[in-house]
Amino acid sequence: MKRFKIAMAAVASAALLLAGCGGEPEGPSSDFDPNAPVTLDLAFWGNDTRAGFYKNAIAKFNEKYPNITVNSTFLPFPEFWEKRQIEAAGRDLPDVMQFDYAYLRQYSQNKLLLDLKPYLGKYIKTDGFAESTLGIGVVNGVTTALPIGTNAWAMFTNTALISKSGAGAYTGGTSWDEYATWMGSVTKAGGGSVWGGTDPTGRIQNFEISLRANGKNLFDDAGAPQFTKADLADFWGKGAQVRGTGATIPTKRLLEVAPKSGFGAGLTTSELTWDNFGAGYAGDLGAAASGLALTAPPVTKAGAKDLYLKPSMLHAIAANSEHPEASALLVDFLVNSQEAGAVFGTNRGLPASSTHLAGVKLDPLSQKILDYETSIKERLGQAPPVPVVGYGSIEEKFRQLGEELGLGTVTVEQAVDQFFSEMDTILKK
Amino acid sequence: MTTVEHVQPGHETAEITAPDAGPVRRRGRRRGLASTIVWYLLLLVLAAVVLYPLVWLFFATLKPSSEFGRNSGLLPWAPTLDNYARVWDGIAGIPLWRYALNSLIVASLAVVGTLGSSALAGYAFARVAFKGSGIFFAAMIGTLLLPFHVIIIPQYIIFNQLDLLDTYVPLLIGKFLGTEAFFVFLMVQFIRNIPRELDEAARIDGAGHLRIFWSIIVPLLRPALVTGGIFSFIWTWNDFLGPLIYLTSPENYTLPIALRLYNDATSTSDYGATVAASLLSLIPVLLFFLIFQRMLIRGVATQGLKG
Repeated sequence: MKRFKIAMAAVASAALLLAGCGGEPEGPSSDFDPNAPVTLDLAFWGNDTRAGFYKNAIAKFNEKYPNITVNSTFLPFPEFWEKRQIEAAGRDLPDVMQFDYAYLRQYSQNKLLLDLKPYLGKYIKTDGFAESTLGIGVVNGVTTALPIGTNAWAMFTNTALISKSGAGAYTGGTSWDEYATWMGSVTKAGGGSVWGGTDPTGRIQNFEISLRANGKNLFDDAGAPQFTKADLADFWGKGAQVRGTGATIPTKRLLEVAPKSGFGAGLTTSELTWDNFGAGYAGDLGAAASGLALTAPPVTKAGAKDLYLKPSMLHAIAANSEHPEASALLVDFLVNSQEAGAVFGTNRGLPASSTHLAGVKLDPLSQKILDYETSIKERLGQAPPVPVVGYGSIEEKFRQLGEELGLGTVTVEQAVDQFFSEMDTILKK
Repeated sequence: MTTVEHVQPGHETAEITAPDAGPVRRRGRRRGLASTIVWYLLLLVLAAVVLYPLVWLFFATLKPSSEFGRNSGLLPWAPTLDNYARVWDGIAGIPLWRYALNSLIVASLAVVGTLGSSALAGYAFARVAFKGSGIFFAAMIGTLLLPFHVIIIPQYIIFNQLDLLDTYVPLLIGKFLGTEAFFVFLMVQFIRNIPRELDEAARIDGAGHLRIFWSIIVPLLRPALVTGGIFSFIWTWNDFLGPLIYLTSPENYTLPIALRLYNDATSTSDYGATVAASLLSLIPVLLFFLIFQRMLIRGVATQGLKG
């Protein structure tokens, strides 16, 4: 499987090289004719439930535009991108795609995505979006995608499990040391079957917010890293200390329950992750979402704007689309309309467009997310530049090294060296 | 990859039982009942070790999704048949049998295409002395060294321009044109070991190449055809990348892709349905294997001996 992945990566880079040879994206050729029959391809990732939502949304869309036939196709996330990479090589991407932030720079720089500027305002309404949110899908000054929903880094706690263990609740927004102490108290009360949390230094986002607390990002606009080996060694060194106290769940135990996380398997009482993961956790735990609480992550530096809103998903149109106007209308419907909002709810993240949000009937969990994103307003800073090409691989390497550190198979120094050499290789491509 | 896993248990039992069965039977009376029992117990334990993952999979299909990751033991805490009910309902309004039918169509056609074309190609390489046959044979073997991933993109572009995406043609056409070097090689080696005198006798009776192929070679080729058929079926049944690239409409998906649709790391994953559907998708391959297992091992064995 590993060899296969490497091969896929090779294919993908070859694909994008080939794709880069293509021509300039075309501007809007003509106005949309509401009577001419048009067929669009729509691709998204997700499960059965989301597929059902898209089906209903398209039916609503067809009430308005009966002349546009939408053929939709869906796959799970990793397969979705394997297929897109190959289609990109053949310049045969689906007209409208659900898009991921991590791939946006790569596809935009290779001119695979349509420049949306001529369509904004005319076919795609923008009044529902905040200025900062619209700026999310801009790469090198060109708008190539519109955010569907936003999410922010957060901490989930399992209140039901905490009260069962007899420990006190975590209030959120404390210092990292206080968080570690609290995890230790839950682990102690849990008596070997429940742990306070997972070592947070295994996730690159926790490193990112500690950097942002000091006014830096992982990467600057030009794609150069804004951290040194010493920064990372310091960060992982703190993680080793916390692991040493036995407050966090042993990595070995985590690997046993994969693909579930320790939190999803009901072994830990807190986990730092994106705020839209609640439904997944509730499903994994088989418990009511009411037992889950959302709180702010620990603070590195008081008063710092370390958090930010990230697009959970975006919509983009392929540069090779033969029907950019119809595609733009579909995107407008999917990101802006109340009807689509009513169909999707918060399945694709908390809606970025206020008109879309107006259609959403908030369930208790979505209400928690909305409340959470309101509660951290003070800590929300400007979003970092669109992730560098290959960010997904960098993030994954970070996670793997975190896992190896947890298993004790590498020292902090070795892990830092490995991370930098891997990152340099990826950034040089 | 999966095929290797399937073959291994067969081989293991064959290797374990074959050399031991003789001595045990011969010395059985001397050794007495006790040692026989010990031997059988040992074999039972080995079989249990090999079969345990499958048994675990079966019991896992009865676990509700929330039990995954918490109950790693064999028996479910709260057994339920819900997983099967959800699998039966299918995905995105398409019932599971539709995916199974798609897989069956593709796999069956692949068997027919692979066997027909590779037997003909094998006959040509083994029996017809045409100009440049040595070079062509080397080139054919050379394609075995060519990783599939190298040709994905050119192939995709070609099929895209021929407007054949979202059909089964890209998955099958190569098999009907004898591009599967492994199977051609299998046939060539087998045919080379069939005595030429049989052909010559037929030739004297006035038979041409097609007649010799059909009346002399094909009946003698049966073990190789069975072996090739089983491999081809299992490989196509389990193929993931090909259908992923060429099929777009969910109603055309084959079973391996449908299985992945139950898991979505970005929202909720239905582990219960995943294992239930996995078990169901194993059944045809398992049946196929059990029925033809004897022939499979014999086929491989004769290849090894003669080649």
